Amino acid sequence: MASSKDKVSEVNQSIYDFRYAENASYKTDSGLTEDIVRQISKEKHDPDWMLDFRLKSLEIYNSMTIPEWGPPIDGLHMEDIVTYIKPNTDMKGKWDEVPDDIKDTFEKLGIPQAERESLAGVGAQYDSEVVYHNVKKEVEEQGVIYTDMESALTGEYSDIVKEHFMKLVPPTDHKFAALHGAVWSGGSFVYVPAGVHVDIPLQSYFRLNAAGAGQFEHTLIVVEPGAYLHFIEGCSAPKYNVANLHAGCVELFVGDGARLRYSTIENWSKNMYNLNTKRATVGKDGIMEWVSGSFGSHTSYLYPMTILKGDNSKMEFTGITFAGKGQQLDTGDKVVHIGKNTSSHISTKSISKDGGECVYRGEVTITENAANSRSSVNCDSLMLDSISRSDTIPAMDIRNATSDVGHEAKIGRISDEAVFYLMSRGMSEEDAKSMIVSGFAEPVAKELPLEYAVEMNNLIKLEMDTRD
Amino acid sequence: MNKNTGLSVNHLPVLTWNHIGINEAQFPETELAEVEFDACYEKSGFGKEIAEIFDNIETGMGAEAVAFTMNHCTNPIFIRVKEGEKKVIEPLKYTFADGAKVCDVTYILAEKNSEVSVFQSYISEDDTASYHAGLTKIVALEGAKVTLIQTQLLNDSSLHSNDLGIKIEDSAKVELVQAELGAKMDYVGCMALLSGYCAEFVADTIYYGDEKRKTDLNFIARHTGKKTVSNMKAKGALFGETDKVYRGTIDFINGCKKAKGDESEETLIFSDKARNRTIPLILCDEEDVVGNHAATIGRINENRMFYLMSRGLSENEVKELVVRASYESVLSRITDEEIRSKVDSYLERRMIIE
Repeated sequence: MASSKDKVSEVNQSIYDFRYAENASYKTDSGLTEDIVRQISKEKHDPDWMLDFRLKSLEIYNSMTIPEWGPPIDGLHMEDIVTYIKPNTDMKGKWDEVPDDIKDTFEKLGIPQAERESLAGVGAQYDSEVVYHNVKKEVEEQGVIYTDMESALTGEYSDIVKEHFMKLVPPTDHKFAALHGAVWSGGSFVYVPAGVHVDIPLQSYFRLNAAGAGQFEHTLIVVEPGAYLHFIEGCSAPKYNVANLHAGCVELFVGDGARLRYSTIENWSKNMYNLNTKRATVGKDGIMEWVSGSFGSHTSYLYPMTILKGDNSKMEFTGITFAGKGQQLDTGDKVVHIGKNTSSHISTKSISKDGGECVYRGEVTITENAANSRSSVNCDSLMLDSISRSDTIPAMDIRNATSDVGHEAKIGRISDEAVFYLMSRGMSEEDAKSMIVSGFAEPVAKELPLEYAVEMNNLIKLEMDTRD
Repeated sequence: MNKNTGLSVNHLPVLTWNHIGINEAQFPETELAEVEFDACYEKSGFGKEIAEIFDNIETGMGAEAVAFTMNHCTNPIFIRVKEGEKKVIEPLKYTFADGAKVCDVTYILAEKNSEVSVFQSYISEDDTASYHAGLTKIVALEGAKVTLIQTQLLNDSSLHSNDLGIKIEDSAKVELVQAELGAKMDYVGCMALLSGYCAEFVADTIYYGDEKRKTDLNFIARHTGKKTVSNMKAKGALFGETDKVYRGTIDFINGCKKAKGDESEETLIFSDKARNRTIPLILCDEEDVVGNHAATIGRINENRMFYLMSRGLSENEVKELVVRASYESVLSRITDEEIRSKVDSYLERRMIIE
């Protein structure tokens, strides 16, 4: 297995650790006040309704308390977080015009390559602003709109934005949704017209750079009836020792008979507080598919939620969480069945290592009207040592007599027999365990596009490698 | 203690979203005379030293429920089984009439290698609103075996709480068999601490919900000893506008190497107005363990329904048969004929499948 070992050491770990000097043209004072919110709004040339929305959200934010459940977020001091940093570059349509340091960062993250591999568009976010954006011609010709949220808000699609913005995740949902409503900036807007099948996945890459900077990007995707889209969102951030906050928001509207696949691998730096909200609503006969990988971050609260509103709508969720040293990843999934004959299938895997803590927190609700609905939930947890922790907290709320709900969870360790077998075939104990963990993650990897699956496997290998 | 909403009981060991309403429950208090509990100890000859063993045992319903029941205890019972002894305790039958209010406290101490079987039954004799708050604590010392069988058939206007705290030492085993079938509000909490090497805990609970009954169950198996084994099962059927909550937790504490915990719940729902909330937790702080949980909620499996109907049974007959079959493992353990026949006729009368 020498080759596998070489492969592990060949991965360039520094790509997740580099950071360039801040070069921001505009930066707000630390802390969150009405003045800051007004400044953000002014800088972004918000329409009036958006400024009102932001101020209302700030009010809600100030009136709400931090959740009592979940891992501690005491290390997060809002007063120290610069909520908004605009990089020193305007929107660029051509790669050549993007400043060198930013370009270099993205190159290390592999974005141009990914684009060359015929991905439809790249809306790469550096700090809080979309700096590079390009949608392939043929996708545009299909009538698909893929742009940054700011352009969408003020451009010709502003009505669509106004109609959907934070309707699915209202600021009253929780404190960090309110925070997002007040200070959001950047993100992607995608609109797929009825009946359009987007063959190639659209991709967006986010990255935090400045120390102490928050990131509040908003992703709004509207897939009209009968359309299909695969959207990929990847996140990575460099290491830095000041608490960082990510409170993004993703709203997905899947129309009747439409299908949306939303894949994401999140790899935040180990000091990041990732308090992200993702939600989808699905119309009649619609299908929502989630593929979600959570790596990195200091603390995560992440529970993508699906509302199966239309009859016969479906959702599938495949997720993996890997918590290493010092990490508390509280992740899971929520689904609400409202339409008749709806179905959901949730399958999650978690791995805890070196004192990392994984929590699966889930909720399945089947309402009175959701007759003949089905839901199955499957959670597997792997403990790699006795200083780590893994908890499973799945709630089910069933309110009719014609539905079926099944839940299964398993927790355990890597079996000594499996390690012994692989070692007897000449592998080191470490390589054997690494291979078993990759095998455990395989059902998730196979749901991802190839380059993402490779990245995820590399991340697992890096996390498993204890030689450094 | 919150006077407005009652006792805060059946806490979920780890909090989750408040909107689901399962982080805790409220059980109403009632007016009862305060009693001096220490005096009961002395009268029973149980001794203060042994009493101290019980004082520290946590229960499933929690500290507020324990304090209330202890301070208003009307029926203290102490059972001590000496080393090597085998005992079947005379059934403890509580019958409720004329709005009776009972707080019973039962302590069971099974000494080394002893065996004891205890049967508790709570039945209403009329339609008056009665109140029962029960607390049972069990300590099973090395090699001891304790079986506790409980049946509850209170009427639709009565309140019932059943709080259990169990400590299981080296190679000891405690088996809990429960039929929670009646009452307007039925609250059950059970905490089993598996502290000894090879300690074992088995719980088999059936519940029945109809009309506007509220059933609130909280089971916790906490593994601290090596090679400990827990197996908790709950089965039930829901009709009418009943509202049921089941919390089941397997808690592996660091150091409980080679421990194994299993938990399962099967709920059949027969009414669109019934509500079922289930939250099966596994909390794991130790690598070398195996934990499994499974929950099946909803209607009767289609294949099973088809098979039985193809044998000539009507749909309703199949439903009744399947519910009764799921109850059988518990009902077969009720050996007291008088109680068994009351349970049978209760189910016959109540279970009307339309």
